[in-house]
Amino acid sequence: MLTHNKSCGGRKKMQVSYVIRDAEEKQHRNGVNAMQLDPNNGKLYSAGRDAIIRVWNSRSESNDKYIQSMEHHNDWVNDIVLCCNGRNLISASCDTTVKVWNAHKGFCMSTLRTHRDYVQALAYAKDREQVASAGLDKAIFLWDVNTLTALTASNNTVTTSSLNGCKDSIYSLAMNPAGTVIVSGSTENILRVWDPRTCVRNMKLRGHTENVRALVVSADGNQVVSGSSDGTIKIWNLGQQRCVQTIHVHKEGVWSLLMTDNFQYIISGSRDRNIVITELRNPSNSMVVCEEKAPVLSLCFNTDKTGVWSTTWNSDIRCWKLPLYDKCTLNSSGGMDAQWTTGTELACIKGGAAIKKCVVLNDKRHIVTRDTEDNVAIYDALRVVKKEELGKVDFEEEIKKRNKQVYIPNWFTVDLKTGMPTIVLGQDEVDCFAAWVSIEAGLPECSDPQSEIKINYGKLLLEALLEYWTPPHSLPPNDMEQDIRGNGFFQVPKHTPVIFSEVGGRTVCRLLVRDAAGESESTLLHETVPQWVTDVVIEKTTPKFLKIPFFLTPHPSMGKPERTKKDRLVANEFIQCRKVCEHVLDKVLGAETTPSGGNASSSSQNSDAISEGSQVPAEDRIELWCNDVVVDPNMDLRTVRHFIWKQQQTDLTFQYKTKPNFSYDGKL
Amino acid sequence: MGANVSQLEKEIGSDLFPPNEHYFGLVNFGNTCYSNSVLQALYFCKPFRDKVLEYKAKNKRPKETLLSCLADLFYNIATQKKKVGSIAPKKFIARLRKEKEEFDNYMQQDAHEFLNFLINHINEIILAERNASKSGGGGGNATSSAGTAAAATKSSSTTSTSTTVSNSSTNGTCSNSTGSINGIGIGISDATTPTQGGGSPANSEPTWVHEIFQGTLTSETRCLNCETVSSKDEHFFDLQVDVDQNTSITHCLRCFSNTETLCSDNKFKCDNCCSYQEAQKRMRVKKLPMILALHLKRFKYMEQFNRHIKVSHRVVFPLELRLFNTSDDAVNPDRLYDLMAVVIHCGSGPNRGHYISIVKSHGLWLLFDDDMVDKIEASTIEDFYGLTSDIQKSSETGYILFYQSRDCNV
Repeated sequence: MLTHNKSCGGRKKMQVSYVIRDAEEKQHRNGVNAMQLDPNNGKLYSAGRDAIIRVWNSRSESNDKYIQSMEHHNDWVNDIVLCCNGRNLISASCDTTVKVWNAHKGFCMSTLRTHRDYVQALAYAKDREQVASAGLDKAIFLWDVNTLTALTASNNTVTTSSLNGCKDSIYSLAMNPAGTVIVSGSTENILRVWDPRTCVRNMKLRGHTENVRALVVSADGNQVVSGSSDGTIKIWNLGQQRCVQTIHVHKEGVWSLLMTDNFQYIISGSRDRNIVITELRNPSNSMVVCEEKAPVLSLCFNTDKTGVWSTTWNSDIRCWKLPLYDKCTLNSSGGMDAQWTTGTELACIKGGAAIKKCVVLNDKRHIVTRDTEDNVAIYDALRVVKKEELGKVDFEEEIKKRNKQVYIPNWFTVDLKTGMPTIVLGQDEVDCFAAWVSIEAGLPECSDPQSEIKINYGKLLLEALLEYWTPPHSLPPNDMEQDIRGNGFFQVPKHTPVIFSEVGGRTVCRLLVRDAAGESESTLLHETVPQWVTDVVIEKTTPKFLKIPFFLTPHPSMGKPERTKKDRLVANEFIQCRKVCEHVLDKVLGAETTPSGGNASSSSQNSDAISEGSQVPAEDRIELWCNDVVVDPNMDLRTVRHFIWKQQQTDLTFQYKTKPNFSYDGKL
Repeated sequence: MGANVSQLEKEIGSDLFPPNEHYFGLVNFGNTCYSNSVLQALYFCKPFRDKVLEYKAKNKRPKETLLSCLADLFYNIATQKKKVGSIAPKKFIARLRKEKEEFDNYMQQDAHEFLNFLINHINEIILAERNASKSGGGGGNATSSAGTAAAATKSSSTTSTSTTVSNSSTNGTCSNSTGSINGIGIGISDATTPTQGGGSPANSEPTWVHEIFQGTLTSETRCLNCETVSSKDEHFFDLQVDVDQNTSITHCLRCFSNTETLCSDNKFKCDNCCSYQEAQKRMRVKKLPMILALHLKRFKYMEQFNRHIKVSHRVVFPLELRLFNTSDDAVNPDRLYDLMAVVIHCGSGPNRGHYISIVKSHGLWLLFDDDMVDKIEASTIEDFYGLTSDIQKSSETGYILFYQSRDCNV
């Protein structure tokens, strides 16, 4: 027995991520993994890889069937079941959680965190209001739906039974409505069968040669139909504990199965993109319902069962006419239309494009993306917005065009699993506070011409994301500062989802930027937000400057044998080479040309002398060389190291040289 | 020693002593048995010896490199007046210590690491010299490229460790590990990697080191979510296999090509799914090398002891070998191999012990133990399979096996 609210022993490192998206995403932005239809009201629920479950009015003739979105997952939703006569929906996700929803109002009631890996499949026993969940952690849990829907914030423990014995990741699960039989399919290539009432293991069924991806149990619990990556559909008789039929109607893996009520016809969807209907007792009687545009992920009857809704890797959801005649008495009739024409589309819910490719530009702020429709767009990771839509232009060309020769450390990574850009702020190899830039370079829209402010991208962003959060113990903001919230420069869209998760994937907390002010969210944040974030956002600690060590040596053409020693210096990595020129002029050459001054006392004297002796900027008098190239004084140190020096092991070395006209002037 | 030497000649018999063959021991300079044992195996690797001597003949006054030192050493052995004796590989060891910091001491070294370094380094030298001659430069040019070669070897030795794919390394207790490969930096077929500047046309043409030792592995990964198979070719100079108790080398190679499931924290980043998914991966041999070097991973890191221990498991290696873990599109899957040399580790652990080697020469089996050379019976090879009991004690076990393809004599 396990409780769902596992306290996390040995806290893992926490990471922060956020999604760049519209406030309302009315279309699926990626493939759709599962569907459920409420026959009472014609509502179709679809579980997206974009982490959103959407509700559609399937009976509407209009093109706009959208009713609402159910958002709380932050990774693929793999499976959903509608229970309690359509009142509640249960969902399983790659974010390792199972969620319980109010299906009518569309909000998440509670989250079950018992699984340790992707939750792949759900099964539902209608008569007993029981739901089972299974996933890549090899575990199957049984849940009492009435208990799940009664959970509250204070009464949040629920007991579950687990079914043991699976040795491999589970990809499919099915129960009969009476809840007397549960079957799982896994990468063991076998079916395992239990009695969910006693949790006693009944049998193992061997026969498939690859992963078992889809399962259906008959109402009487005596027959099972399975679809496998090996491309076959098998019919199993549980009483005889054997496979009674193998059906070959697909060229590739069978990923979804649907049975007509009387268990007479099998409708199957495959990686080969076909949806096929086959008579169970006479498999030679089979017809192609349609050929989809991509591998078929899920199937679901329409309200009057004249057609089947299907989803694929693409985001469209289509309804296809079934070749069964005498539709109103489907239960008793068994005929298929001999004059059938494949692929009659009854309805379509158009989906949006998924971003499949992206490249972060050198400025480490803008991202070039390309979606499934080959549209290229520019996203701004700092302001959390889509900045530009470029249409069908050349992706690589656009990157080349927009990349400048500037080096800024990485401070985030981009994840495209949902089809929308999720920005993950790093901590270890990619440090989210690594990117210090001057405001005129990094945030020109907010800079005033004279300012020399340095900004840190990660800090600005965290401040903006948690702008509305007032931790319980922080000082009450005084009246003066009431208006100055966030980072003082910009705000990010208030609908932006912010996700705190353990490194490796398990979500701890997800909320929208605007909701951080709420009482419960604020408390939750207080418990979740890691120290490295509060240090910056609440304590206003300035992240460390990163330093670069480098050497200064005279250029061989200077011909000064008396000064062979290299000067080893350390400076902030974002300072411009102009500053190094000033240093050379001021401290290195300056010290030599004023013979009177001892090194210790002469610094002020020297700088006076320099400012007096020249109106000419240091960069016009001193040339810096690196790897036989003259360095642009506007370049910063890290850019020189990255693009010109190109070595990690050895310290950057500059050679300095007075410009010819300068030394001429000096002699005069 | 003289008595021993003449005894070997006596044992073989003057009428049976192979003409133009020399059996010379190599003097130990303080824990240099790792080098001696590998050098003997390579000397009796006919295609390799021929190429090294050919190099010696072609380069009369070369700039000193590890290859020129090796060529001098091989030449020295091959041109001895006596048929048996011993030689001090002084210049070679001195150069080796200069080339690679790790070998610049009197510590125990790993013979496989040395072999790996030597083959890669020689290859780099050949490439650098080829580039230098192509760019038409004189001696000065060659000097600078030799320097580059040394630097490049440093980096390539790090790449080869990073490309070593080992299942056991991710999980200390993993038992179904399939082994690892020892990749090299020079891509021939890798079309997705843009060619780096600087002499890549020359690099595309294989060197004689490639021709002798290089094979190709193809790794196929199948995403369990979208069921898309992606395959990638990698070159190798040797195959590193895990050892199991009471098995054979064929078993080790089968395990090497077993399907491995990438799961839990080790999921596969699927390009098609744009996310981490479970996947099944296996590696099979696509191009079989002329000389197949098999490294038995007998030094296992044990977390509970915080050190490497020696695995003395008995692993039978046959005199004749065929590979069964070849890919469907393999170029030459039917190659038949003959055992040609074995580097043997004697002792109880990686930091103590001794390396010797046995080699086959003109139908005779000889045992080289530093400066000593003995004739042995083929049947005594069994003594080097390993121990059947798991009680830790000193053992003399095959560590690197050299198999020569039968068709390479033609």
